[in-house]
Amino acid sequence: MSPKGRFLRSAGKFLALAAFLIFAIGPLLWIILTSLKDLKEVYTFPIQYFPKKPSFASYTKLFSFARFGVYFRNSLILTLTASFGALVFAVLSGFGLSRIGKRSLKQRLLLLLYFTQMVPPFIIMTPLYTTFSSMGASDSMIIVAIIYVSIVLAFSVIMAKSFFDRIPIEIDEAARVDGCSVFQSLVWVIIPVMRSGLAAIFCFAFVNIWNELFVAVLFLNSPNHLTIPVALNSFISKAGISWDILSAGIVVALLPTMLVFAFGQRYIVAGLTEGSVKG
Amino acid sequence: MVRHDRLLLKYILPVLALLVALVYFPLVKGLITAFRHYNLFDLRDTSFIGFDNFKAAIGDKTFSFAQIFLNTMIWIFASLLFQFVLGFALALLLRKPFKGRGLYSGLVFYTWALSGFAIGLLWSWIFNGQFGLANDILMRLGIIDSPIGFLSDPRYAMVSVVVVNVWYGIPFFGIMLLAALQSVPNELYEAATIDGAGRVTRFFKVTVPFVAPVIVSTTLLRMMWIMNFPEIIFGMTNGGPANATNILATQMLYKIYKEYDYGQASAISFMIMAILFAYSLLYLSATSRKERDF
Repeated sequence: MSPKGRFLRSAGKFLALAAFLIFAIGPLLWIILTSLKDLKEVYTFPIQYFPKKPSFASYTKLFSFARFGVYFRNSLILTLTASFGALVFAVLSGFGLSRIGKRSLKQRLLLLLYFTQMVPPFIIMTPLYTTFSSMGASDSMIIVAIIYVSIVLAFSVIMAKSFFDRIPIEIDEAARVDGCSVFQSLVWVIIPVMRSGLAAIFCFAFVNIWNELFVAVLFLNSPNHLTIPVALNSFISKAGISWDILSAGIVVALLPTMLVFAFGQRYIVAGLTEGSVKG
Repeated sequence: MVRHDRLLLKYILPVLALLVALVYFPLVKGLITAFRHYNLFDLRDTSFIGFDNFKAAIGDKTFSFAQIFLNTMIWIFASLLFQFVLGFALALLLRKPFKGRGLYSGLVFYTWALSGFAIGLLWSWIFNGQFGLANDILMRLGIIDSPIGFLSDPRYAMVSVVVVNVWYGIPFFGIMLLAALQSVPNELYEAATIDGAGRVTRFFKVTVPFVAPVIVSTTLLRMMWIMNFPEIIFGMTNGGPANATNILATQMLYKIYKEYDYGQASAISFMIMAILFAYSLLYLSATSRKERDF
């Protein structure tokens, strides 16, 4: 290829990469900028792009009278608990599924897991609600945590199994020759070599649970139990949204999973391509 | 190893118990509810009423079901097409290493991790009819003279929500196809080049056939997932204006949260599931036949 052609091609590639980058981060930067403006600057047209003096007043309002501190804590506790629970279950049964010897049994169990991925979450939402509320346990964060575990569980197990599959079975056997039980070989020998797999499972569970809205809206009613998505939803259903506070709320809702993505990108990519079920 | 199976089964049992109790049992209950009168306001009567919920949902006077169905198809296939094409393009751009590729892919792929609902809210600010960034940019560029009601005008609402879904969904295809592209053996390209194949021929004769299985599985999964993904619409328009962005999933949410009619809501999710099932059978049989032709 001629030097000119090569130059044109790399220039084109550069422009395309730049366009993707602007498209991807532009909206995020815009909402962050909005959240740093005062109310008057938010509502001007033609738009004033940058705040004269960045102010955190919206965040102060958000965390004081909009009580976002409580919702943030709820979301964090709920997400961490449920993700950790899903991780523990996923490791145990992913290991079991990977090491089980009888093929027909293994395949039947896998089918049971894969099928749940086809079930629309909505069809199980209302029956769960009526069942739990008839037991008098609807407005409960523990129940919601358990439901969240079950929502991410099948995919977590599938992912864990494929990570265990890559660890040669000879490692288990060697550990057992050295006197380990099956459980000891799992905890002391196998888990330490699949730490990145554990990180992938945890990241997936965290992202999905932190972002969940509809189950939480249905189940959690009392003001002390709301999660961040539910709180945002109650903002907009009240008449007249004030975009200074709402923009700050959106930033707070997006930040945790972005951090998880920033730290866990490597594992998330591995998990996506390994499990390749959830989008 | 067979002698451990009994023990290993014990490791799996808790998960099976959870899935049976919290997925399979409610699934069966939900499927049955679709054929029952089931309104939270009137729970004394939960008798079986055959297909009445389906009839009521389809014959709904306030929301044209034909339009909801059409909206659902546009929502799915327009989103899917652009997510796929742009995600594939991005993956091709990222295939060869360059300085800062890791950081770059983090900055273009991060939308994968965001909350669909919060994204919907974020973009409804950008598409705001009075103070929105989209109107501002288009006016400065001289493309429009006065602000457009992106979300209040039925002509633009569907396009707007699809744009957001595309923005959100590019990373999934980008990540998956990038991984697939990196597994294409270099020898294949070298051999094709020696045979005199140009860039375009190499793309269609080497790259595409090699990643075809990944394309099939990702588009299938993504289609199912988009069908069950009302979060963005819920945050932006909630199905409006005048039914213009109402899809099956948002209509079902409306039945749950506004009308408390769990019977009709279940009937709609029954339909969603049936459509997905039929679609995946069709899709798999069509694509496997095509692969045999290769």
